[in-house]
Amino acid sequence: MPTPSTTDLLAIAPEVILTVAAGLVLVIEAFLPGLRRSLSGLGMLAIAGALWARLSFELPGPVWAGMLQVDQLTAFVDTYILVAAFLAMLMAGPFMRRNGSDTGEFYALTLLATVGSMVMACSVDLLPIFLGLELLSLPLYVLNAFFRRHEVSVEAGLKYFVVGAFASAFVAYGMALLYGVSASTHLVDVGRQVIELGAFNPLAAVGFAMVVGGLAFKLALVPCHAWAPDVYQGSPTPVTAFLSVVPKGAALIVLLRLVEGMDLLHISPRWVLAASVIAVASQSLGNVVAIVQRDIKRMLAYSGIAHMGYALVAIIVAGNDGGSAVLVYLASYTLMNMGAFACVAQFSEREDRPHLISDLSGQGYNRPVGALALTICLFALSGIPPFIGFTAKFVVFRAAVNQGFVWLAVIGVVNSLISVFYYVRVIYILYMRPLPERRPEYGFSFAICATASIAALGALLLGIYPTAVLAAAQSAILVLAR
Amino acid sequence: MGGDVLNDHLLSIVTLGPTVFAVFLLFIPMQWKKVHRIITLIASILMFALSTRLWTAFNPDVPGFQLVPDPIPWIPQFGINYHIGVDGVSLLLVLLTTLLLPVVVLAAWSLNIEHIKSLHITFLLLTTGMIGTFVALDLFLFYVFWEITLIPMYFIVGVWGGPRRIYAAVKFFIFTMAGSVFMLIAILYLAWFHHRQTGVWSYSYLDFLDTAPLLPTTGGLLAPGLLVFLSFALAFAIKIPIFPLHTWLPDAHVEAPSTGSVILAAVLLKMGTYGLLRFNRALLPDAWEIFAPLLMGLALIGIIYGALVAMVQPDVKKLVAFSSVSHLGFVVLGLTAGTQASTQGAILQMVNHGITTGALFLLVGMLYERTYTRLIERYGGLAGVMPIFTGIFLIITLGSIGLPGLNGFVGEFLILAGAWATHPLAVVVAGIGIILGAVYMLWMVQRVFWGPIDNRANEAIPDISMREVFVVAPLVVLVIWIGVHPNTFLEPMEASVRLLLAR
Repeated sequence: MPTPSTTDLLAIAPEVILTVAAGLVLVIEAFLPGLRRSLSGLGMLAIAGALWARLSFELPGPVWAGMLQVDQLTAFVDTYILVAAFLAMLMAGPFMRRNGSDTGEFYALTLLATVGSMVMACSVDLLPIFLGLELLSLPLYVLNAFFRRHEVSVEAGLKYFVVGAFASAFVAYGMALLYGVSASTHLVDVGRQVIELGAFNPLAAVGFAMVVGGLAFKLALVPCHAWAPDVYQGSPTPVTAFLSVVPKGAALIVLLRLVEGMDLLHISPRWVLAASVIAVASQSLGNVVAIVQRDIKRMLAYSGIAHMGYALVAIIVAGNDGGSAVLVYLASYTLMNMGAFACVAQFSEREDRPHLISDLSGQGYNRPVGALALTICLFALSGIPPFIGFTAKFVVFRAAVNQGFVWLAVIGVVNSLISVFYYVRVIYILYMRPLPERRPEYGFSFAICATASIAALGALLLGIYPTAVLAAAQSAILVLAR
Repeated sequence: MGGDVLNDHLLSIVTLGPTVFAVFLLFIPMQWKKVHRIITLIASILMFALSTRLWTAFNPDVPGFQLVPDPIPWIPQFGINYHIGVDGVSLLLVLLTTLLLPVVVLAAWSLNIEHIKSLHITFLLLTTGMIGTFVALDLFLFYVFWEITLIPMYFIVGVWGGPRRIYAAVKFFIFTMAGSVFMLIAILYLAWFHHRQTGVWSYSYLDFLDTAPLLPTTGGLLAPGLLVFLSFALAFAIKIPIFPLHTWLPDAHVEAPSTGSVILAAVLLKMGTYGLLRFNRALLPDAWEIFAPLLMGLALIGIIYGALVAMVQPDVKKLVAFSSVSHLGFVVLGLTAGTQASTQGAILQMVNHGITTGALFLLVGMLYERTYTRLIERYGGLAGVMPIFTGIFLIITLGSIGLPGLNGFVGEFLILAGAWATHPLAVVVAGIGIILGAVYMLWMVQRVFWGPIDNRANEAIPDISMREVFVVAPLVVLVIWIGVHPNTFLEPMEASVRLLLAR
């Protein structure tokens, strides 16, 4: 292998910055424990530096002998991964301190998981995709169980680990089969070979299905969703926020590069039908089961399942419209979900108890800023204008209608209607129920409140003026090989 | 030239101005209740003053949209623009909205309720949504404004409402949302169809006027033209509400605070009838031909059903709420009959209903503030203790039941006269509805105001106050004005209605 050029190195500068920062965090934790309070700040600084590097360095396209592809799509995806990681880090500092788990490992692992998802986002080769997937998953297993004295947290870690290992095995086995049929690990070669062999070649079809199935675990799509509620509920809230956004984004981008780039799904109507069934099932199950949840984190888990169902619609629709819709959906989902979980962290008394929705009674007037942020995020999640959730759904359903998938759009809007039930319920509990006798003692943290406010403000402003996001998504999707 | 800037952007200022004030209120501490009230009142009077400039700047001889500022690209990738304008139909509804805002702000002046700040912010945001719905010329923009009205109204009912307010608020939210999600698909479909016909992406109403009528309506119930029509019609029918989709209305009205009921009855319901005329009638004339008889039948059922149910209500507010179902039935009848006279009558009746029902809700609210009850049986003989109030109530009631010389008569007469040529049977049924309307309203007035005072708690209640006179005075003036000289209001819409019906 030739020595890497400067272009190669500059192209992965963001990943390098984060990895170095993760190492630095561990060193400081070990030798200068007095500086522990500043570790989350260091993490945020590194993330901001990585974002700056990604946005200001030129995008060279294929680097590292064609294994990685650093283009506009990568930049778009990295931007929201880094924004999500930054917001998670911002709320993690005070949150972990409050719960007495403010150790350097937490920040180092978060940074490494971020690097993993960024590697997935820029890979066009099966090997780095798998490496990225593992680098993303392994830190998350630990982070889920970070409150090691809380039963629910340990349970979350174990569950995510078992399911995640299963999913990784799926992906690895599928990749092996794909390599077997195409004698190449590059996505374009693999895709070409699958198309050539057709949908009925057993090796290619099974390999493709196993890779996609493994990614479906990360996306928590039905029927691979069962881990989500328990893991969401048990993990420390900043981890839940990170987990609900970043791995899903990374998995969707791999799907985009593999499926959309080559238009693989459309080589057989049966594959389209199968994907449609999964999308509809995810939306319906997620939304209906969310209605009966009493814990807000579990509710948001089911809502996340439903939202990935909407995003899958955009993938099924394919084409430039569908592809850019996926990106817009991810960007909006990131803001809404980060905001919602930051609010959950705000209204949280003890981490080992359930976060009951009914505990939010009357908080609308007790904690106006946080409650308003939560309200905005929930309205956005339910897809009501002028928030960005509406724009995202509009873009997805528009793509569906334009490509002749009107029925998917109709099922989608009916599901949005169902989802209004549970989102609106949280809002009326916030504003229309009186404060309970025993007032929950919610600590106030400026950083957590700021996280919620930034995300909510973003959801509002980008909802009113989505043009820039749309333009970025549309130009990003053009780089996909077609 | 400062004046030119004002004229060019007059419509935008009236539409978005309330939101600017709402954002401003956000930064004023909530303890300063008086300041919130004063700023909101100033804002609402300013908006009304500006909207009267709309009236003077509007040229009634020109059909089609006027005062249209240059469309501003909003989402240029999809051909979505910020594009607004008024014609004779929407002008009246915009004025009705801006007139009612100061009225409700003044009506809520003395209310000793919590969260004054939030109440005023929600009212201002709601106003932007309502005006925006009437002036939007881009269907995406229309949908955004249409949905935006949901959120403030949900809070108004749910936070400041009566005992069953949460149930009523959620029901209102879900019902309205249920209609509008299908409308979104219909809008997307129209845009796709426009693109297929012309190769251009657009959500403009003016563009859709050319292509939407081309949607095929033959080939069974699954024909795209019919499905698009039904999607729009469902959204509007729930909002109006047309029987049997009206069940959210009594709950929302009864539980809403009286200021909320005023806005709900006077303006929000009109968004439905306006949409029926603007979109269903004008964009899909073929499908309209097919479904008009069905809508008319449901409207007639609504007229009679609403009147009969209103008659047996023990609660004044509920009685007025059900009377809305009946009155809106007349509006739909006028629209579906489809003649020039009946359509103009229907539009005038939208305004009439806004004024009289709005005033009735205000008056009932004043009674409630004095007695803390709305049950008819708890009243009786109030004419003796509050003569001025009784007089005003009587004028509004007579206006509502269509006494010649007052506003309701003109609207109903035009609707029935216009419909007579084409649908005589419907006119007969509606005539029965008018009689029933007189019966339940006058019977209610008799039980509340005449006779002896049989509830001793009512012996000492104060008559209407000066502030309250100011609140209802503009509405009383309009009741008489429209009754005596309806041409002031019929003229500006004549050319626009002619154009709409010619499609």
